[in-house]
Amino acid sequence: METFLFFFGGAVLLSGGIAVVASRSAVNAACWLVFAFLGAAGLFAALHAPFLAVLQVLVYAGAVMVLFLFVIMMLEGPVMPGESRRPRPRLWLPLLAIAPAVVIAVVASRALRTAAPAGFDTVLPDGFGQPLRVSWLLLQDYVFAFQMIAILLLVAMVGALALGRSERKRPWQ
Amino acid sequence: MAIGLTHYLGLAAAVFLVGMVGFVIRRNTIVMLMCVELMLAAANLTFAAFSRELGNEAGHVFVLMNFAVAAAEVAIGLAILVEIYRRRRSVDADELTTLME
Repeated sequence: METFLFFFGGAVLLSGGIAVVASRSAVNAACWLVFAFLGAAGLFAALHAPFLAVLQVLVYAGAVMVLFLFVIMMLEGPVMPGESRRPRPRLWLPLLAIAPAVVIAVVASRALRTAAPAGFDTVLPDGFGQPLRVSWLLLQDYVFAFQMIAILLLVAMVGALALGRSERKRPWQ
Repeated sequence: MAIGLTHYLGLAAAVFLVGMVGFVIRRNTIVMLMCVELMLAAANLTFAAFSRELGNEAGHVFVLMNFAVAAAEVAIGLAILVEIYRRRRSVDADELTTLME
């Protein structure tokens, strides 16, 4: 079951990611991103992290994608003509991406050659990754990180509101 | 076939790479933001895989932090893009070169 979930979720995540990069219109890219994130949720399920899988669907496939689609529709409508107009002038830019690709491929092939990849052999405690255990950890050991998340979200909200105001209403101008 | 840490790390590296290539070659800033999201998803996958390997849920807590960071990033990034679009009528990265010149 976990093997199936890994291959299924991994294929969905990877193909969705490639489709995001390759699709012409931004709306298509957003829809493929939802697809990719659903695959990531499947991978979380395979990793015994059901809480994360549910949150991935709620936060990413739900909230974040609604925000993306809203902004795309508000700005230019479903068709983004700018990008298909002419090819990108700086063709050497993809070379920047090829260098780390080579590094990763070399490291991965080394890792595969030195030791045959083994399955997970850790015995997990009961209820691993379930909301009860994760929230216990979140509110006991990592409560400082939890507070930081709260402050970060508050600051982001204030910043987004400040940026979204129309120009003449801004108190600092 | 047993799926282990190595498989997950390889997949996460591949997804991160796809996101990075997309960030470099795309010119639409909204799609560039989506590629950043892909890279963050790859990092989350690594956290969860090590969490599974070590039998320790601390990684899950940091994935939760990453969710919040990604949400904040999208909110602020899109707000900035809307403001840029209001002024320049474009979100094409090649046309936003005022600071470069």
